[in-house]
Amino acid sequence: MKSLHVNGVERQFAPDEMPATVSDLLGHLNVTAAVAVVEIDGVIVRPEAFADTPLTEGQTIELVRFVGGG
Amino acid sequence: MDKLIIADRQFDSRLLVGTGKFTSPKAMAEALTASEAEIVTVALRRVDIDDAQDDTLREIDRDRFLLLPNTSGARSAEEAVRLSRLARAATGIHWVKLEVTPDPYYLLPDPIETLKAAEILVKEGFVVLPYINADPILARRLADLGTATVMPLGSPIGSNQGLKTRAALEIIIEQSTVPVVVDAGLGLPSHVAEAMEIGADAVLVNTAIATAADPVEMALAFKLAVEAGRKAYESGPRVATRGAEASSPLTGFLRD
Amino acid sequence: MDNSVRDILARHRLDADRDQWQQRLGDVTAQDVEAALASRPGSYGLDKLLALISPAAEPYLEPMARISRQLTIQRFGRTIRLYAPLYLSNYCINRCRYCGFNQGNAFTRTRLTIEEALADAEILAAEGFRDILLVSSEDKRFIDTKYLEALAAQLRKTFSFIGIEIYQMPTVHYRRLFEAGVEGVTLYQETYDRAAYAHYHPAGPKADYEMRLRGPDDMADAGMREIGLGVLLGLADWRIETLALGAHARYLTKRYWQSHISFSFPRLRPASGVSAAEFPHMLTDKHFVQMMLALRLCFADAGIVISTREPAPLRDRLIELGVTRMSAGSRTNPGGYSGPESSSEQFEVHDQRSPAEIGAMLKEHGFDLVWKDWDRAFLQV
Repeated sequence: MKSLHVNGVERQFAPDEMPATVSDLLGHLNVTAAVAVVEIDGVIVRPEAFADTPLTEGQTIELVRFVGGG
Repeated sequence: MDKLIIADRQFDSRLLVGTGKFTSPKAMAEALTASEAEIVTVALRRVDIDDAQDDTLREIDRDRFLLLPNTSGARSAEEAVRLSRLARAATGIHWVKLEVTPDPYYLLPDPIETLKAAEILVKEGFVVLPYINADPILARRLADLGTATVMPLGSPIGSNQGLKTRAALEIIIEQSTVPVVVDAGLGLPSHVAEAMEIGADAVLVNTAIATAADPVEMALAFKLAVEAGRKAYESGPRVATRGAEASSPLTGFLRD
Repeated sequence: MDNSVRDILARHRLDADRDQWQQRLGDVTAQDVEAALASRPGSYGLDKLLALISPAAEPYLEPMARISRQLTIQRFGRTIRLYAPLYLSNYCINRCRYCGFNQGNAFTRTRLTIEEALADAEILAAEGFRDILLVSSEDKRFIDTKYLEALAAQLRKTFSFIGIEIYQMPTVHYRRLFEAGVEGVTLYQETYDRAAYAHYHPAGPKADYEMRLRGPDDMADAGMREIGLGVLLGLADWRIETLALGAHARYLTKRYWQSHISFSFPRLRPASGVSAAEFPHMLTDKHFVQMMLALRLCFADAGIVISTREPAPLRDRLIELGVTRMSAGSRTNPGGYSGPESSSEQFEVHDQRSPAEIGAMLKEHGFDLVWKDWDRAFLQV
């Protein structure tokens, strides 16, 4: 099993099921519409790059969105 | 009335509105429209994977409103800088409302972490609007660093107490070389009118509009109050005058 | 801050084409003056200052004086600080038409060696002074930065405040003097009117109007805590000069928020080679007071400095109106304290009283005489 840390939670994937790119991960979690920007191991990934950014097991990923605020 | 100028942009509206605490995205959108604000603040949070909502931004017409991401939640300069960079990457906007609030009870801003973060962010090319307590020296130091405004609080966030810091605000307004946006604690339209009357360049309101029984009407009330206060300020208020003096002990010696 | 003081003065027509201001001064009404008086005391506004110096404000000197006095006492207490000027040289390469030390005037020129200056300073210290103002004409070859550094380094052992009122210098030199113990610089623009400036400063380094205007910026950049501004009253219309002075002070207080501004009011008085006919803008005591009060009402924290150019009876009255600093027992000729009365004076001293006598007068008026404000010595390494 391969794992990714996503928003503070460890998620396990069967080796052939692990999302290959950021886009795949968002689709798998069904959060595509919500995500504004992604951070992988502290590095920011812009929306334009989601489809082209590969994932490796063990990475720490933050999925961030905009919410109401003052 | 003359325009509000922040960094390289000009605005007709001097009312900035926050998007938090509304009952629904629709209610928020309607209130924003009624307020005629041109700058609205938003925050950044983790996506809730088990209950993912649509991106809040979808409800905000980005042709009409300038999105101003804030760094709420940051408790240190490092966290604020990180949030700012994320926001910029997400939107392409390099404006940020810098908010560093380690105190979870009153959400008062930390002056030292704010100064540290401001210095870094200005160097990275951000247009920085720092939220601070009404500290005139801190305001000067931030302007010296190159922040685009200062945003002193009227009273703690959400307290709706109005201009508890009025005396200090007056000093900040007198001394500031950048626009002064009074933020936080503005609970009533009369509060924002007062802020504008004493010379603030703009105000930011969130809680009072979002939690009103009728947010659309309240947004309109705030809009009118900002305009009234600004008009009063620009027309030079006259105070009641004193009567004539009979004796001249101090200057009588000058009589020719 | 994009605007330099030069740009601000030009934009408001305070340096040239000043005629529009005569019209505006004439248009000020009693209501305008009363509104100015009712505004927050000590807060600046160009329109406010205009109202206070206008002819319409002349009947209001008493209320202006009351506000000024109250404001000054609130900010500074019932204290007046005494300082003594120490003239180092009257050799000069400028040819300012109004000055007794004008290069064209023939008189006995003197300059003090460091030892001689220290001898004079010792006398001043013995009289109680801890605030000294080093004054010199433009005698760069002798009274140069090195000289001043060496002198200041000695003086700082005795005096807690050393100011200078000398020819203008670049920031790096002001910085050297600051490191040596000089904390304040007085540099009068003399006049903000470009045409008048050109007329009265025909030759020498001081003839450069814009360079002169930059002086306070340079000294503030060097870290000087006290910046002394002023115009030589008599060179141009005092009302417009006051507006320009106010605009300059406002610019400096906003830009250099860690420095403190003072206003001085040198009034032209007869001196060797200077005739009254040449100067059509002399002002009366009444207008002198109006100018001082107007500035105090717009600058709550500014120092207001009165020298011994002014006669004793007037000075005694002025202390009730907002003065914070005054000179005493002054000798305006180099070596005047210790040596014989052979060298020539820059201006006639009209208040000849000794510090002790001034001190007694102040006490009578309920003021405390202050010799020093704070001690930089605490911060010295």
